[in-house]
Parts: sequence; C-alpha cells; structure tokens
Amino acid sequence: MSSANRPHKWHQWTLVAAAFAAVVVLLVLPLVVIFAEAFAQGAGMVASNLTSGDMIGAIQLTVIVALITVPVNLVFGVLLAWCVTRYEFRGRKLLSTLIDIPFAMSPVVAGLCYLVVYGGQGLVGQWLDDQFDVQLMFALPGMVMVTVFVTCPYVARVLIPLMQSQGTEEEEAAILLGASGWQAFWYVTLPRIRWALLYGVVLTNARAVGEFGAVSVVSGLIRGETLTLPLLIQMLNEDYNTVGAFTAAGLLAAMALVTLLLKTVLEWRQSSKLNAAEETLT
Amino acid sequence: MSIRVDGIRKTFGGFAALDDISLNMPQGELVGLLGPSGSGKTTLLRIIAGLEKPDQGRVLFNERDVTTLDVRHRKVGFVFQQYALFRHLTVADNVAFGLRMLPRGQRPGRDAVRARVRELLELVQMDTMAGRYPAQLSGGQKQRVALARALALEPEVLLLDEPFGALDAKVRKELRRWLRHLHEQISVTSVFVTHDQEEAMEVSDQVVVMSQGHIEQIGSPLTVYEQPASRFVFDFLGHINALEGLYDGAVWQSGEARLRLDTHGACPDGALTLYLRPHEATLAKAPAEHAHLPVKLAARSVFGGTVTLELEPRGWGSGVLEVELDRDTWAALAPGRDETLYLLPRSLQTVTCDGDLGPRVAPA
Repeated sequence: MSSANRPHKWHQWTLVAAAFAAVVVLLVLPLVVIFAEAFAQGAGMVASNLTSGDMIGAIQLTVIVALITVPVNLVFGVLLAWCVTRYEFRGRKLLSTLIDIPFAMSPVVAGLCYLVVYGGQGLVGQWLDDQFDVQLMFALPGMVMVTVFVTCPYVARVLIPLMQSQGTEEEEAAILLGASGWQAFWYVTLPRIRWALLYGVVLTNARAVGEFGAVSVVSGLIRGETLTLPLLIQMLNEDYNTVGAFTAAGLLAAMALVTLLLKTVLEWRQSSKLNAAEETLT
Repeated sequence: MSIRVDGIRKTFGGFAALDDISLNMPQGELVGLLGPSGSGKTTLLRIIAGLEKPDQGRVLFNERDVTTLDVRHRKVGFVFQQYALFRHLTVADNVAFGLRMLPRGQRPGRDAVRARVRELLELVQMDTMAGRYPAQLSGGQKQRVALARALALEPEVLLLDEPFGALDAKVRKELRRWLRHLHEQISVTSVFVTHDQEEAMEVSDQVVVMSQGHIEQIGSPLTVYEQPASRFVFDFLGHINALEGLYDGAVWQSGEARLRLDTHGACPDGALTLYLRPHEATLAKAPAEHAHLPVKLAARSVFGGTVTLELEPRGWGSGVLEVELDRDTWAALAPGRDETLYLLPRSLQTVTCDGDLGPRVAPA
C-alpha cells in the first residue's frame, strides 16, 4: 500500500541522517538533560524535592485543574462537533471558525482578557465580588477557566472532520428504527467516534497539564496556593534551585512521554482496526 | 397500510423540490417513483418516512394524518441508498438494533431477539454471515442486511431509496427479482425510488413518473409506456429518435425524406416532430410508396436476440438514428457496404410545434 521507497542514493541517506540529527539535537538531547540535571546531585535530592510541600501542592493543583478541564472540554467538544456537523443553521461556519480562537491567540493574551473581565477591577469580577463575595482570579476558578479556554478546541477539532465524513445516515437509520436521540448518540454515534474522542482527551490533558502562559497571568503566583507544576518550575529556576526545577520539569516531561505513548497506542489501534477490516475483504 | 400524500410542497432555499404532489398508494402495492436526478423523488420518499418536513400538505397512513408524527413513531422500514449499516456492529446486531431499542415493556427477551434475527437473516439468505461486520460484505450482501434490518419491526410501509443503484448489473437484476418475490411474500406497502426506467418497469405495480418536482404520470408500467401522458414521459421511458420536418396535412417532409401520414386533422400544417422508438421500425432495400426515408448503416451491435443499428440519414435530418431489429430480419437483409437502406416506421408519435403530444400515427 505504501508508496514510499527505501532511500538508495547517498544524498537520500544524507537527508535521513540530517533529519535524525535535528531530532536528537532539538528534541532528545534537551529531554535527556532534564533527567540528567535532576539526578545530578543524587536520587536523594530528587526524593526530598519531590516530597517538599511546594512540589506536592503543585502536583495536586495541576491534577485538579486537569481533572476539571478535561471533562468540561470533553462534553463541550462533543456538543460543539454535534452542532456543527449535524445541524444546518445560519452562522454555522462562523461558529466553527470561532472554535479556533484559542489556537490562534497567544495564551498570555487569553489570560489578560480573563483578568480584565473577571478580575477584581473587571466588569463581571467586580459584580461577583459585590453580590456574592466570590473571587475568581488569583485562585483555582480562574486557573481552571483559562485552562478550559486554552484547551477547548482540541476535542471538537478532532471530532468535526471525522463526524463530517461519517455523515448522518446511520443516525437517521437508528431513529427510523425507533431509537430516541439519546439512544442514537449512545449506541451509534459514540461507538463510531470513541477512539477519536480518546485522542482528543489525551491532547486536551497534555495541554492542560503543561499550560503556562495563561495560567501564570491569572494565578497571581502565590506560593503553596496557586502554583501549578509549570509555574513552580519557573519559580524554582529563578530561586537557583536547579535540582528542584529540573525535578519538576522531569515530572512534566514524564507525563508528556506517557501521553505520547498513549497517543501512539491509540493511533496504532485505530489503524490496525481499519487494516483488519480491509484484509478480511480481500 | 395504504399511503396517501396530499398537496405536498417542499422548497430548499427558494428551489421548489416538490410542488403540490398528491398521490395514492393502495395497501400491498409496490410503487416505483421514477425520474431523473433533481426530480424530487428522494425528497418525497424522505417526507413519507418523516425524515423531512413538508412546507405544506399532509401524509396519511391508512387515512390517519401522520404529517406531524415523529420519525421514530412512524414505524416505517427504510433502506438507504448506501445502506447506512452500523459499521461497528455485526450483521446480527444490526438486524437486532430495532428490537433492542423498543421500550422495556415491549422489548422481546434475549432468546426471542436471537430467534427473530435468525428468521430475518434466513429470509434474506444471509444466515451464514451473522457474525460478520458490514465492511466484510459485498454490496449485494449489505443490501440484504439493510433490508432485514428494516423488516425487523414488521413495518407496514417499506421505503427504499435507489435500492439497486450501487450494485453491478448482474447482482442488480438478481436482487430486483428477489425483491419482487419478497414483496409478494410479506404484506407490506412498498415505495422505491429509482432513476432506471427498466428497473421501475420490471419491479413496480404502479409507476409514478416525476420531473422537476411534479408528477408527470401515474399508472401501471404498461400504461405509462404505451400511453405516455406527456412528452417528458415519452422521452424518459426508453430511447427515442426525433424526426423534425414539415407537414402539409397529408405528407410529412424533411429534405429527401417523405412520409405519408393521415392524422385526421389532429396535426396542423407546419412544423411537426415525429418520435420513433427503436423497435417500432424495420429496414428494407427499397422505399415503400408511403415511406421514403433513405439511410446508411453507421454501426451495429449484436447483443442477445436483437441487433441495434446506428443509421445516418441520407440527404435529410441530422444526427444518428437508432433502430432495433431481431436477428433473423437482420440476417435476411444482409446489406452491402455503403448500400442505401430505407427506414419503414410502423408507428410514430407526433409532437406538435407547441410541444404537446399529438396522436400516434402509422404511415399508410
């Protein structure tokens, strides 16, 4: 099936070698350095850094932010993809363009926008403070809000092309067979999009865990309270705590590697399923 | 269950897909909606199913108004053109889907579902494929599964959208006969959409010929073929040759071609077009007294019992004429190379200058 050839001329091999060299220098080397630096003063230092209050707090906060963000964007992404691909309405194109705003906008700008609107001096923020004594910014709610904003396109963007190519006929068939809208979604739509959905979730999670720009603006950087792992890394680095910074960085890098592995497995699973179906045909 | 549609109108963004359609389909009939693409036949089928809402008009099942009844409660069997099988489910699970979606009280037990699925798969001769996935089936097999799935809830109305459109010629013919047979076995009113005249003629009890959102004619296959109600129907059902010329009340003329026609005054003097079906003429080596239509053989193709000839008019008309002869006639004729032959029409359809169908005439 593949139309690619094995390289056989010397300049083709050179090109391949150059690609490998670039990957090693730009991607692999820094990753190795992270772990090397973390363990530079022995495993004991790593352990003590990992068990420090700041580190545990940051890990907890990062996990909480991700735990809230992922389900919210899962539901939001599915709803959005459903609307854009299953209904024909005025402004449908506009809506599908608006989804991309978080992709196009720098996260720092997003953070500032939220600060202006929901901050203590902001329009909505002031009103909430006056009426309910609720403070969103420089606290967990604000950090979750910006993370949701930054990561909201991933699920929808993975689902929309898939659902568009699958069309609506199978759902129509389900409803003709007496299924309710919810049954049609649960028994027909969801099984067809589940791997893509998981892929979207993995991407969302990776981005939610690693988000720095937007979160740093709205967190207020309160030590032991509003520091997520990426923020803690920055803080420790500024304090000249190299081992601490690199231990936190190693932790994030490890999470990224796990995510990458999951993503590869999911892709492999999807393509092997397709291949299996094709093979039995021929 | 009888189906009646009454004054249906449907527009899509200013384009009238259906314009005041009324139609009666008696219980147990197999009705073919025939028309070119864009004639509105699929839209009409989807409106009967409830997948589209008409802008105006009513749909009645057994004289009960179901226009506002939701799709899922209409209980119609529907077969999509591309089958729309659930690709993540096996053949058996596809067929069982409708039964499993029933409300808890009416849902049959596990064994009952299994038995019903087996029965349906036997009906469509797919019982050996129960464990396969749709991707592992051929087009004809998918079609059968789609049909079994549509019949699972014992619908009294079965709707099929271009049921044979995506199949190759041989499988198509086989499935056509099989569908006709199946329709006689089970008590159901069926409506199917097709753009293939032959298919509509062979399968249906009643043919509804549609064009541009209108019904052109309703009738048995024989009626619409022998007594077309409009020029469109005549044109659409089978190949025609159009002969254009002038008529003076007794003789039709075009260049060197002459035909003596008695239309009993039905056709005014002046421009007169004649439609000739390929099988309603023969060829001779000499002109007849009433017909002088010289032609030259351009091409021929032999298939089955008939020989299809392409003829170039000599000194009249334009464009190639198509005529079908049976093999024996052709063998007896055995024309030489470049020999002039003479076309002898047995029956012609007149079309007056304003585009209406005139009487059928035989040259004499």
